[in-house]
Amino acid sequence: MFERRHNINTVMVLKVLGWLLILEAVMMLVPVAVSAGYQEYTTAKEILYAVLITGAVGALMTTLLRPRSTEMNRKEGFLLTALVWVLFSLFGMLPFLFTGALKTVADAYFETMSGFTTTGATMCSAVESLPHGVLLWRALIQWIGGMGIILFTLAVLPMLNHQGGIQLFNAEVSGITHDKLRPRISETAKSLWMVYIVLSVIMIILLWIGPMNLFDAVCQTFAALSTGGFSTRNASVGGWHSNYVNVVIIVFMFIGGMNFSLLYTVSHGKLKALLKNDIFRWYLGIVVVATLLCFMDMWLSNPKTNIEDGLIACGFEVVSGLSSTGFVVADLDKWNPFSVMIISLLMVSCACAGSTTGGAKIDRMVVLLKNVKNELSHAIRPNLVTTVKLNDRVITYETVQKILAFLCIYALILLVSTTIITAYKIPILDSMFMSLSALGNVGYGYGVTTGGLYSNLPDLVKWLLSLDMLMGRLELFTVLILFTKGFWTK
Amino acid sequence: MKIVIAGAGEVGTHLAKLLSKEDQDIIVIDSDEGKLIKLEMYNLLTSAGSPTSFKSLKNAGVDKADLFIAVTPYETDNVIACEIAKSLGAKKTVARIDNYDFMRMENRGFFINHGVDDLIYPEFLAAEEMVIALNRTWVRNWFELCNGELNIIGVKVRDNAKIVGMPLKDVYMSNYAHISAIKRNHETIIPRGSDIIRTNDIIYVAVANSDTHTILKMCGKEEISIKKILVMGGSRIAVQLAKMVGSKYKITIIESNLEKCHKLSDRLPECNIIHGDGRNPEILEEEGIGDYDAFIALTDSSETNILGCLSAKEYGVKKTIAEVENIQFISEAEGLNIGTIINKKLLASSKIFQIMLDSDATNAKCLALADAEVAELVAREGSKITRVKVKDLGLSSEATIAGLLRDGKGFLVQGDTQIQVGDHVVMFCLNGSIHKIERLFN
Repeated sequence: MFERRHNINTVMVLKVLGWLLILEAVMMLVPVAVSAGYQEYTTAKEILYAVLITGAVGALMTTLLRPRSTEMNRKEGFLLTALVWVLFSLFGMLPFLFTGALKTVADAYFETMSGFTTTGATMCSAVESLPHGVLLWRALIQWIGGMGIILFTLAVLPMLNHQGGIQLFNAEVSGITHDKLRPRISETAKSLWMVYIVLSVIMIILLWIGPMNLFDAVCQTFAALSTGGFSTRNASVGGWHSNYVNVVIIVFMFIGGMNFSLLYTVSHGKLKALLKNDIFRWYLGIVVVATLLCFMDMWLSNPKTNIEDGLIACGFEVVSGLSSTGFVVADLDKWNPFSVMIISLLMVSCACAGSTTGGAKIDRMVVLLKNVKNELSHAIRPNLVTTVKLNDRVITYETVQKILAFLCIYALILLVSTTIITAYKIPILDSMFMSLSALGNVGYGYGVTTGGLYSNLPDLVKWLLSLDMLMGRLELFTVLILFTKGFWTK
Repeated sequence: MKIVIAGAGEVGTHLAKLLSKEDQDIIVIDSDEGKLIKLEMYNLLTSAGSPTSFKSLKNAGVDKADLFIAVTPYETDNVIACEIAKSLGAKKTVARIDNYDFMRMENRGFFINHGVDDLIYPEFLAAEEMVIALNRTWVRNWFELCNGELNIIGVKVRDNAKIVGMPLKDVYMSNYAHISAIKRNHETIIPRGSDIIRTNDIIYVAVANSDTHTILKMCGKEEISIKKILVMGGSRIAVQLAKMVGSKYKITIIESNLEKCHKLSDRLPECNIIHGDGRNPEILEEEGIGDYDAFIALTDSSETNILGCLSAKEYGVKKTIAEVENIQFISEAEGLNIGTIINKKLLASSKIFQIMLDSDATNAKCLALADAEVAELVAREGSKITRVKVKDLGLSSEATIAGLLRDGKGFLVQGDTQIQVGDHVVMFCLNGSIHKIERLFN
């Protein structure tokens, strides 16, 4: 109680990271097994090297480090959460490098970070020629990252089921407030993962019934539900030319963008909770309005468009952008400017907090709009007392301020990132679009990054975008505070 | 175990934090969301809503709760909350009250009929604790177990004690005494044979009732008989104490609020009530503080109580007791020269632990210290503890078996001891480990 306090318990953080790396090595065994199953023995062997290295580093960290105390508080929570994403990407890129799927470290790191943060911007142009093991690893990292690495470990490692676990949970889970479903944090994590797994199984079966084989169905499911966006076809989901596939994926991308706590409540038979939820109603409304606007735009420029195909294509792109998936059925470059602009706007907000989506979240946008409305009323009636309400609960003034600060920083980072990219003589619009896409974990591309292919960018831009993705996924503060002086000084 | 706590006040918050460390499922209800935000950082669930509303209790999942604890500031709310919780399906309910009338045995049936299974009255528990402290002036803590056959005694070791500087394995007090824990420099440790006793350690000894006098001698203490008591602060605990022992001792109460003084003199005719500030030396000297045998500080402020006791010691009062409500201060206060420390939160949590350890609450007893608990449990048929020898139980460094009572006789427990069904086992465990002990007995 009174012994000398160290500012941050770094040793303990590193020891826990060691445990998590062992867990990542175990995850990597899945693509090894799949590769072996498809008789790609060289690939299996190459990924196995990655498993061994990751596992060995993890084991060394856990056995050699002896922390003075096991206590983990707020600062350790932030540090561990940020570092685990960086380290998982660092070791997660080994399978790509060893199998030769990607040549440079910048490319491989970008690809892995893009996977874990469920961005879906890729470095691989010829996806179809990659071995099954690599494709599955690409899909799996999205699936794990979608729900959250920390949330996954909270569910499987009992050692984090204490106060420190709450700090980690708060540092990783997105949104304004963090709903706990059950009294103990590991139980909450397990419940959320259960919802996620059940949805994944349903989607795999639905896609498998359609024109896809099991492998493709699994990979598309992992990419869609996690709102990632890595596909196993060069032309993304458009490669199947099937409206059935498109509709199934639209539905599940939409579900992936919903608050998982809400899904948990709904799965317990409380359907009313869904319709009563303000955010869900906004989410549904935005999808419908944006789809109709895009379709109108398409139909006005080409009245011969097939209504069914057109609506599905527009719906797909809208949900894909809003949920931050980044799957493509049609090239954005061929779309009218108005539709591209609509999609860009959707990419700013993205879907609901507490989901697998990226971006600033609809919740924050709704609070912003309601606050603006209140401010306008104040202009006419200065003595009017107003509150911002969400789901019949008052959002406190402090929370509103926090949200406004978040949105300002979000915009600022977007501008800084765009400015740096333009230094490489990349058009302003393209730079803006790729920054937005990375920060919001969407993965769409426009202009030089058309089709979500980011391979022909300079290395420094790739590193910058990797950082953008990380900041976007951890909702800025968890990463940004690591760069403040106050975090490190006593 | 699923435990719902209604009321995030001082006691509720303390219980919630403590129990969440014990790996229990905790849900805290309060109508004030601001109080709940402070608990968000702990491994528990909070739920905003009134503790006396059917809807909010249902939302919190009271229907599936094993234990419902109502500790809001109002006893009527607590009783009603328990009544509702019981009707919704809570297995066991406990209400905090502040009224001795409710505690009377003849009125208990009324509460059980209304769905309140147990009552906590911290002021009453505090008064009881003080009565023990006044009877045994040389101890810090005195905890009677097994109908008084076995005691856990906390004693501060001073320079004059014979055992200072001796390793534990050489300390021979009696066949039935066992030093189960040592509190040293704000930390409680479960000692091993090679540990040495130092000056200013507080040792916790399990000892059979007949052998307590040997501990007294070993530690170089002497018993003082108390006749006159000076109480600072006319709080509810003071009133409770005066009612319990007013006829046995000569009690004087100093209270700074004149209105309160009038009420006190009305309610407690056998006590002297002095109007004035107990911190003022003039008042104390006028009252002849040096002639008193005991000084008890019970004001609302922990700091005042600690300082009051320290100055009373300087005036030559032998025994001082302070009420210290800030748990963080307890450790510091124990290091100072204050005899006994009373804390309502710890007393309340003792009671809750007791209920948790044994749902019948007939066999278990529990005492919560600032960073440890002492519990008496009965070994049941088929429980893990009866199956292997003590050394094979895998007790960690967080817990130890302090003593054992078999057929009404105290036993010293050794590695080879085999615990039998029906034995009363006294465990000493550091915070956050009671649930591990519980597993051994179920």
